[in-house]
Amino acid sequence: MTSTGAAPPRGRTSDIGGVPARRAVMRWAWRMFRREWRQQLLVLALLTVALVATTVGAGLAANAGYSLAATFGTANRLVTLSGSDPSLAADIAAMKRGFGTVEVIEHQRVAVPGSANPIDLRAQDPRGVYSHPMLRLDAGRYPSGPDEVAVTAGVAAIFNLRIGDVWQQLGHRRRVVGVVENPLDLLDKFALVAPGQTGPSDQVTILIQATARMLDAAPLINGAEVEIRPSTPGASATVAVLILATIGLLFIGLVAVAGFTVMAGRRLRALGMLGAIGANDRHVRLALLANGAAVGAVAAVTGTAVGMVAWFAFAPRLEAIVEHRIDRFDLPWWAIATAMVLAVVTAIAAAWWPARSASRIPIVAALSGRPVRPRPAHRFAAMGGVLLLAGVGALALSHQTRPLLIVTGIVATTLGMLFLAPVGIAGLAAVGRRSPIGARLALRDLARYQARSGAALAAVSLAVGIAAAIVISSAASQAAAAVPSSRGTLPSSQLIVWLSPHGGLGGGVPELTAAQLQTAQTQVNAIATSLHARFTLALDGALDPTVPNVQGGPGDSTAGKPIVELGKAHHKVEGGKNVTEFTDRESIPLFVATPAVLAHYGIGSGDVDPTADILTSRTGLSINQSRTSSSGYQLIGISGRQEGGHLRVQMVKLPTFTSDPTTLITAHALHTLGLTSVPVGWLIQTPQSLAAAQIEDARRLAVAAGVSVEARPTQASLSQLRTDATAAGVLVALGVLAMTVGLIRSETARDLRTLAATGASSTTRRTLTGATAGSLALLGAFLGTAGGYLALIAWYHGKLDVLRHVPVADLAVILAGLPVAAVTAGWLLAGREPPAIARQPLE
Amino acid sequence: MTAELELRRVSKVFGSGPTEVQALRDVDLRVEAGELVAVMGPSGSGKSTLLTIAGTLEEPTSGEVAVAGREVSRLSRNDRARLRRHSVGYVFQDFNLLAGLTAVENVALPLELDGVGARAAAASGLEALERMGLSEQADRYPDELSGGERQRVAIARAVVGERRVVLADEPTGALDSVNGEAVMRLLRAACQRGVAGVVVTHDAQLASWADRVVFLRDGRVVDQTGTSPGVESLLAPGPSS
Repeated sequence: MTSTGAAPPRGRTSDIGGVPARRAVMRWAWRMFRREWRQQLLVLALLTVALVATTVGAGLAANAGYSLAATFGTANRLVTLSGSDPSLAADIAAMKRGFGTVEVIEHQRVAVPGSANPIDLRAQDPRGVYSHPMLRLDAGRYPSGPDEVAVTAGVAAIFNLRIGDVWQQLGHRRRVVGVVENPLDLLDKFALVAPGQTGPSDQVTILIQATARMLDAAPLINGAEVEIRPSTPGASATVAVLILATIGLLFIGLVAVAGFTVMAGRRLRALGMLGAIGANDRHVRLALLANGAAVGAVAAVTGTAVGMVAWFAFAPRLEAIVEHRIDRFDLPWWAIATAMVLAVVTAIAAAWWPARSASRIPIVAALSGRPVRPRPAHRFAAMGGVLLLAGVGALALSHQTRPLLIVTGIVATTLGMLFLAPVGIAGLAAVGRRSPIGARLALRDLARYQARSGAALAAVSLAVGIAAAIVISSAASQAAAAVPSSRGTLPSSQLIVWLSPHGGLGGGVPELTAAQLQTAQTQVNAIATSLHARFTLALDGALDPTVPNVQGGPGDSTAGKPIVELGKAHHKVEGGKNVTEFTDRESIPLFVATPAVLAHYGIGSGDVDPTADILTSRTGLSINQSRTSSSGYQLIGISGRQEGGHLRVQMVKLPTFTSDPTTLITAHALHTLGLTSVPVGWLIQTPQSLAAAQIEDARRLAVAAGVSVEARPTQASLSQLRTDATAAGVLVALGVLAMTVGLIRSETARDLRTLAATGASSTTRRTLTGATAGSLALLGAFLGTAGGYLALIAWYHGKLDVLRHVPVADLAVILAGLPVAAVTAGWLLAGREPPAIARQPLE
Repeated sequence: MTAELELRRVSKVFGSGPTEVQALRDVDLRVEAGELVAVMGPSGSGKSTLLTIAGTLEEPTSGEVAVAGREVSRLSRNDRARLRRHSVGYVFQDFNLLAGLTAVENVALPLELDGVGARAAAASGLEALERMGLSEQADRYPDELSGGERQRVAIARAVVGERRVVLADEPTGALDSVNGEAVMRLLRAACQRGVAGVVVTHDAQLASWADRVVFLRDGRVVDQTGTSPGVESLLAPGPSS
């Protein structure tokens, strides 16, 4: 027969309809979304909540941390010089010549009666080229003359000052003309005077903008300490929020697959009609994908808007918590935009599978509303297995450090679970073939509608998997903590009281008077007595008296001088010059080898080589003080003039716990390097492992004394973590079940009517729902726990012995408690006949 | 005359083995342009299957189907969809209008799917609705229309553009007798404009609107007959009109 074909209509643009066709389909999808958004409320709500949490979380991540601008302003280098330096003016002039614009801030200590912490009298230009972000005027005006001062609210409270009052300090009368603050550090207590008005200063800080090359080219200034502004720490926290959001959206995506499958089922006849009038497969797919995009877009916009409102409402409270002002609009917009895009992509991806399935349904079957037979479960199993293996492989290759591989591993493992879920469901249906009618019907329906039940099962498995992974790994940590000879910060029977309120040796140790030291010692004795301590060992650190005080620590601008530590030098080339960097993670605390310490560890005076500088239990420790050294450790916290060659290291028997004295500096080294010994803390040894309550009591006493306490994490806190993780996992899984069982059962409402007509009681109805929820929970618990173990095996593949400790009780709660809770909840909630079912006519 | 729809020795088997059902057996049917054919038969005789195969919604197990001069078996899935957009209009018993679209958008949808711009498609749709006497209801949604109006919108959608075949499966099944007669009159009018029509019906009174009635039983054509001109033919416009 000759093909004549129909003449194309006027204005036709493409054989497959082109833009007009796509527009028509998307218009219909949008209208359907507007008409039926209530039926998709679950997915909408979940996505919206995810966006709200991401927006607020991104705001917190970007703003909660301490801003380096509180110390550096807009500069990238901070040079500290002693105020008593006779060549100070010449040094500043040299820096101006070397770096161009510099900004000088002078500091003078003002003692506070009855307090160990002085305040800072600061001469700073409010319009300073670098320091302007560090100043804000809250009331009055900035000081301009020699007899004027502005104070922070904290200083005003201490000295009972108001604007207009006269403040007499250090023999100088000044009129208070304003209230100021450092908006980036509200704990910064200072009195501001006009530049050059402090009188003789204790210290001078100079803000500069310089490259490493400029710094290296500049002549060395005796006693100067240069701080380099580290890269912004907020970005990593924001990335962490985004990673969490991605995992959350993945979880929601699984629930959304079930939701969109139900929607596709409801629109099956309309989709068949679309096909009957000439829509091709792509148009049908587009209709459902456009619906997914609409859900994602509406949730993204709503969630972000609600998140913004929540952020604006929360920000003032956050300011009080984090002690710095927050710019409400200083949000990581790129992260929020990414989260919005991720939400839309999640919704579209979740709609993709139902859309693909719907487009493959024959038009006649779609017109009659008959769903297609599910594909055999084993067809998915192979893909699921491959994805699971890929996920586990990615986690193993991540070596716990590579975020991309970690996220890929989690996503692939989750998708693997999604594809393996139908096998589990089919297996369960086969097992339940001889069960009573209610359970049999429930299991068979799960297998018949495997698209939505599989997605629900994957979501439950993911929730359980995360909880199981936390439970198993915390059990491993707890077991490790219980072993006295194992590594860690401290043995479980020891506690260190640090003089520094921030703990440890970093950030400097306050310079205490003899009386203050005596008070602290009394408090330590009280703590030791309350713990029935065997002994208390005083720990000293070394400091370089020529090094200026640590500046700008959070909440403490006069933290004292830095304690000398050992740092691992990392050399890199920046701007064509070699730059040396140290990280806190690799630093080794250095304690003074006092006779008491040596005696405590059984090291006699004759055992120590008189020329040794360092005593350590760490093998292979090499210390090279040369600035150009490319390997080993260096002493940090000492001035440039102490530079030298190799330090002599002697191996001795010392503890291996990282916070214990593992490395000591000898009296010989102190003398050679011109260092002095200062108290830094006390080591308290108790007869047995410390309980959480004992540590908490000690911590309370320490806080009252202005010191801090460090102890090994207790088993009780890890037990609490396990209990919390188990409870959270079970609750989230039950929540997912509550949301999805309704979706799954909605397809079988007709069966319920038939059952009711044939005389089935509410018990059958309860059994149906209970069995649906229970079987999904059981499968999810087993799959999730297995997935959690697989992921942890990949995570700890180098040290699998940590997984030998099985948290039996917690896993029993997950594996048995979750299904029982699901059955019980399903049974209790399904008693009443739904009105929608009651209204339907009997067919 | 040219056959707009031609089925040659078409058979359709559903299932296999013990569940096998022979829905159609060697059915021959030829519908000329401007001809309206009614298909009658008991439930399960294969009427609806005949219509879905004629409309390219299903493929026959054996035999050949030609629509608007094109051999369907040689067409891909997408080509069949295009053929439906161009040449085949469907009218179903339960209207099957898309709930999210207005009457005129429903009518214009096949044209838009074929790539016609929204404005031009709407103009064609409005024109088709005017022929059905529904221009006032053009902007209403399906759930704002009565059953008779909905079916007239469905007919408008079936004939919009340059459709050459209209297939109606029990188009009056959900309507009262007055609306049923109106629907048949519109289908008849469409055929008189040159469209080939096939109507599946149980109602002999409505079948009398057709030029020819085909009887199906157990998937076979058991009888074909022309209808005697009844009172309805008096209402139809004459050859000169």
